[in-house]
Amino acid sequence: MQTFSGLVSILTVFLWLGGNLVSPLRPICDLRVLDHFVREARDSEVIMRGCRGGCGVMKSYFVPLTSVDFAVWEHMDVTGQAVEVQTGLSLLDQALSNAMKTVSNSPLTSALDNNISNIHSLGQILHSLDLQQARSTVLPDDSAPASAQTQEVSSLPELLQVQSSFLRGKVRLLLSAAPACQRQNS
Amino acid sequence: MAKMRSDRLKIVFVLCLAFVSIGGQHFESKVAQLLRDESEDIKCFVEVKDLTCFWEEERNSLPDQYTFTYSYENKIKDCVVSSLSLLASNKTVFFCKLPKTPFFTTLDVKVSRDRRMLYSRSLNAENFMFLDPPRNLTVLSSGKEGQLNVSWLPPLLKYMDDSMIYEVRYAEEGSNMGKVEVIKVSTMLVLLGLQSDTRYKVWVRVKPDGVAYKGYWSAWTEPVLGVTQPSELDPLIMLLVLFIGLILCLLSMTVILSHQKFLLKKLWPDIPTPERKFPGLFTVYKGDFKEWMSQNNSSMWGRSVHVFTEELPSPLEVLSEVSLSSHGTSQREERKPVEEDEEKESERSDSGLPDRWREPPQAHWLMEQLRTLQENPQPLSQSLLPQSHDTYVTLNQNSQGDGVREVDDVFEETLPLQTLFTTAGTPSLNTSHSDLGSLQQSSGSGRLSSQSSFEYPNHTWPPKGPGYAYMAVADSGVSMDYSPMSSSRIVELGRHRMYTNDYKNEIFLHKWPLSGEHTKSGSDFCMGPIW
Repeated sequence: MQTFSGLVSILTVFLWLGGNLVSPLRPICDLRVLDHFVREARDSEVIMRGCRGGCGVMKSYFVPLTSVDFAVWEHMDVTGQAVEVQTGLSLLDQALSNAMKTVSNSPLTSALDNNISNIHSLGQILHSLDLQQARSTVLPDDSAPASAQTQEVSSLPELLQVQSSFLRGKVRLLLSAAPACQRQNS
Repeated sequence: MAKMRSDRLKIVFVLCLAFVSIGGQHFESKVAQLLRDESEDIKCFVEVKDLTCFWEEERNSLPDQYTFTYSYENKIKDCVVSSLSLLASNKTVFFCKLPKTPFFTTLDVKVSRDRRMLYSRSLNAENFMFLDPPRNLTVLSSGKEGQLNVSWLPPLLKYMDDSMIYEVRYAEEGSNMGKVEVIKVSTMLVLLGLQSDTRYKVWVRVKPDGVAYKGYWSAWTEPVLGVTQPSELDPLIMLLVLFIGLILCLLSMTVILSHQKFLLKKLWPDIPTPERKFPGLFTVYKGDFKEWMSQNNSSMWGRSVHVFTEELPSPLEVLSEVSLSSHGTSQREERKPVEEDEEKESERSDSGLPDRWREPPQAHWLMEQLRTLQENPQPLSQSLLPQSHDTYVTLNQNSQGDGVREVDDVFEETLPLQTLFTTAGTPSLNTSHSDLGSLQQSSGSGRLSSQSSFEYPNHTWPPKGPGYAYMAVADSGVSMDYSPMSSSRIVELGRHRMYTNDYKNEIFLHKWPLSGEHTKSGSDFCMGPIW
């Protein structure tokens, strides 16, 4: 019994260390990385406009809200902003993955694949800025009802437009105002 | 207290007015610019953080008549329409400024009047940024030549400092041709490659870079003047250049002076003169060739001849002569190869032909002698005929007394030298006979053998005395014939202007006063035994 509790305590210690002693990533404050992702999202929209055949089916996707009211946004704290961004990125990730299954056009497929990997990279960037929130807020499946933070789109072009707007808006505002980067500049 | 309060209120009011007017100025100018450039029915732009959409309508309508709605993310909202009169273009526009503009989402804008939709447009607000021009533009001359430091402040706008792109325009003061430099994010620039000590005007404008935000170019700032530094090295360079130039000049002068003669000779060569060959001709005798000749000896003559002809003169053998004192007929048969025209001309020029001819006082006597000879042709011919087989020439002498000058001339030319050719001997006899015959024939006329030359086809010969005939001989050596004319000479004796026969008989030298120089010239002239 005592050995078991000792092992458990040692394991807990290790877990705690594992949780906290992960070497912090250097904050990625250069917004040119995000600009690169934004350009690639725009490229997907262009490819979508020029796609003839095998361009996906009409399907509803749950995507984040992209509108930004500056007055409201400025009054929101960073955490709240981070949550919104993280949620939205997850939603986009899911939607794009679902859309890719219905697309057979190879340029579009590769573009969508690129966008998905970019979203994953953004997650890493947020992590480097200490802005990554727990993933519990991510909705488990598509069938979940639309919350206040989501909207529904019915086609892939709309989905890509939402992705583009989201990256240019909320994600960028968050990254540009990230405290970790402000501390670096000051 | 009340007075103070009212004063404060007034100040605040004035400030507000000023602020609004300044803002209004920017707003109006933007509206005016978009009215010109934009082609959509509803023109929209974002100034600072609010989207403004406007449209142009007739003056009669009122703002209240219009309904402006915009929708996004399943929400529909209204906006109050206002009117604005543009003083510059004398136009009226209706506009609506969205109070809380949603960015990064698609907006659907609709304008309707009397429940009838007029215009509609779908747009994203972040794509229509219309920024104010940059602030605090300053132009300073940097420490280096041809450079200017330009710096400014970005327009007041949050979140966009790192996504702005600037355009700097600069031109010389007074010139319209300007250059443009584009610079991203940074708010200062160093202009390079400018002229020194020149005034430049600089303008700047701004635009979103197009990644996160898009929009129109802002208006240009007011121009700011800057002066580049004057060129510092100019006086030094000028001095150095002058100094080096001076040294080079001195060097070249020295070289020229030291080689003056050589250079002159090369640049201005002397015209060659024949003075060297004729010593004293021009200096002592002043070009009088005759005089000069008289002073020179035979070697000079021979040398002169050698200059002009390639041949050596050959001696002339006189076989028989008509002697004035001996009463015998004499027949001169000389050997004389025929010459070329050129040589004869040259010899003529050398010998001063015209000068030699002088009418002997006893020409008539000579004719008598010849007649005597003709009466006894045979024995004379036999005796007189040369035994050799050389070429012989008989000379017909002319009496000056004839007076039919022209006919004589013609006849002279038609009866040139009659050449006797010896082939086997007999023909020569024949020819000699014929010659004698011709002598007979011609004696009456008393022709002088022609002195016709190439140059004087119609020339009246100067008086030719019958007492002498001049013949200048130059043996052509192996070949007599080196021109096409020479063969005709032999064949066509009747042709004129071939020969120049200058023969000067020594006999007459004793009798007639001849120019002395001819007697002294050596081997060219016939010298034969006096019969």
